[in-house]
Amino acid sequence: MTALPLDVMTGAVRGGTSILYAALGESVAETAGVVNLGTEGSMLVGALAGYAITAHTGSPWVGALAGGVAGGALALVHAFFVLDRKANQLATGLVVLFLGLGLTSLFGAAYVARTATSFDAWNVPLLSKIPWIGEIFFQHDPLTYLTYFLVPALWFVLTRTGIGLLVRGVGERTEVLGTYGHNVRLVQYLAVVAGGFLAGLGGAQLSTAYAHAWFENMTQGRGFVAVAVVIFAARRPLAAMGGSYLFGAALALSPALQARGWQINQFALDSLPYLAVIVVLVLLGKKRAAEAPEGLQKVFEMSTAT
Amino acid sequence: MSAITFTSFDRKATLRWVLALAGAAAVFGLLVLTKGANPFEVYRSMLDSVRGSSSVEGILLKATPLVLAALAVAVPARAGMVNVGGEGQLVMGGVFAMGVSLAVDGGLPGQTTLVLMCIAAAVGGAIWAAIGALLKLFVGINEAVSTLLLNYLAVNVMLFLIYDRWKDANGSGQPATRALASSERFSLLGSSNVHAGLLLALVATAAIWWVLRSTRWGFRLRVVGGNPEAARRAGISVGSTLLSAMLVGGALAGLGGVVQLAGAEFKLRQGFLATYGYVAFLASWLARHKPINVAVAAVVLAGISVAGDSLQLDSSLPAATVNVLMALVLLAVFGWTRTKAVSS
Repeated sequence: MTALPLDVMTGAVRGGTSILYAALGESVAETAGVVNLGTEGSMLVGALAGYAITAHTGSPWVGALAGGVAGGALALVHAFFVLDRKANQLATGLVVLFLGLGLTSLFGAAYVARTATSFDAWNVPLLSKIPWIGEIFFQHDPLTYLTYFLVPALWFVLTRTGIGLLVRGVGERTEVLGTYGHNVRLVQYLAVVAGGFLAGLGGAQLSTAYAHAWFENMTQGRGFVAVAVVIFAARRPLAAMGGSYLFGAALALSPALQARGWQINQFALDSLPYLAVIVVLVLLGKKRAAEAPEGLQKVFEMSTAT
Repeated sequence: MSAITFTSFDRKATLRWVLALAGAAAVFGLLVLTKGANPFEVYRSMLDSVRGSSSVEGILLKATPLVLAALAVAVPARAGMVNVGGEGQLVMGGVFAMGVSLAVDGGLPGQTTLVLMCIAAAVGGAIWAAIGALLKLFVGINEAVSTLLLNYLAVNVMLFLIYDRWKDANGSGQPATRALASSERFSLLGSSNVHAGLLLALVATAAIWWVLRSTRWGFRLRVVGGNPEAARRAGISVGSTLLSAMLVGGALAGLGGVVQLAGAEFKLRQGFLATYGYVAFLASWLARHKPINVAVAAVVLAGISVAGDSLQLDSSLPAATVNVLMALVLLAVFGWTRTKAVSS
């Protein structure tokens, strides 16, 4: 049997990747000043679409793409109501989640007991042979490897390019950019939909590479966790990676301990991931809240005015 | 702040409501059509299923905890807070009440235990909501995010107790606690299945309506919800107002937990009040957090959800399909029923 820390850290990457996708997506949306609690819903429809399309086509890659598209489509609903109809962002996000919950039980019932080809683990040559590092990072599914490129790429785009500057400007100085002739709303639309696409991709990773199954409400709050991660990561991709892996590690602790014969109640362990995220929010939340873009602070402070 | 209410006679506003609801119904119809169900049949069977006295009983039974949980969203919302912790606060109400029943173990006369259970449930819900409020006040974490995460924590706490400490050793099948003694249950109203918890929910609605309208506290909530900065300058303690709103909200949801436990289910088991918190959230937003309207909206959503059970039987669509209808109605209401918003 492998060492406990190794087990947990490997599980951190395996269980944290779906959240990482959603957190990266939410980082993009929040950078543009839009909070999307519907991220949970985007993950959910992504998980179903990913699984269903994989079952029909036999290709998990096509499934992953479908998952992303489904997640993006649901995020488009959020974008329309908050940007065009000026509805409350937090409440609309939850309604969008509820929509996703209903849609996936309507269309997902047929796939509950169905099997589908899924992403297999593929060991990266050479790298996977490195002790510890190899097992933790390089013996996973391809969608996990994709995040290793996505994280630095997103960091680069958001902080070092004109596009990133525009997105940040939109979140930070919404009115100002509008008066300079930038199409603020279009940028926000694209950011929210791109965020939903990534969350959907994360959902597809969850169903086709992590759980190898679809079941109702299978995301279990991972999308909400992603939103929390983005808060304490202050929308920085690398920090989001750390936060997502933290949740994954807490998830992995339960089976790892049980495999070693520890007699700890399942549900006490199941609450650990959520507890861990809340604790980190408490430790880092205050500092980060002050750094949030002006547009976001408005959402988080003036909550229920309709 | 001139939100349209259900009682408004403004014709344009009424028309907007009708069109919004019709639009939601049409989209839902199209969706069930893609599943091979006839939308007209679906709507007819839903309507049929909410008529008749046994259906009305079913709706009222479902509405009882829902009204309380929806008020738990409305009160903090008046002060500008988004309480999405209904599920966790309901569950904590049930857990605290069950805890009292187990601790007393039949050692108190008459219905004393039930009274203690109600108090404990309110305290349990309030504690759970207070965590979210305190995190907001002292750490600056938005309460929508924290209360959502706390829901998952609360459910796991309950499951831990059900599967471990409080598991009924004599029970068979799915693990659950032992059942409440008959003196610890709400009495039934007449010969129906509806229990005295409904009266509690109605009294709470009236009380919250009066408190929000006529007391200084209610006024403070409105001011803080309208403009925290102005409230601060006017010498209102924003922090304590927000905390008190969440405490009252949590206590209401906690009561929602005990009415379900002591009025309908009598034992805690997995799935206790699952998704009620979210439906309650929708009810409060549907009615723009006005107490009487919120209670009406909770009953309407309870009706839709009871009608959803008929979908499973008549149209072989999953019962949760009605969640789609509820979400569409809410989106339509968010999008098209407001008087032209003064952009804040």
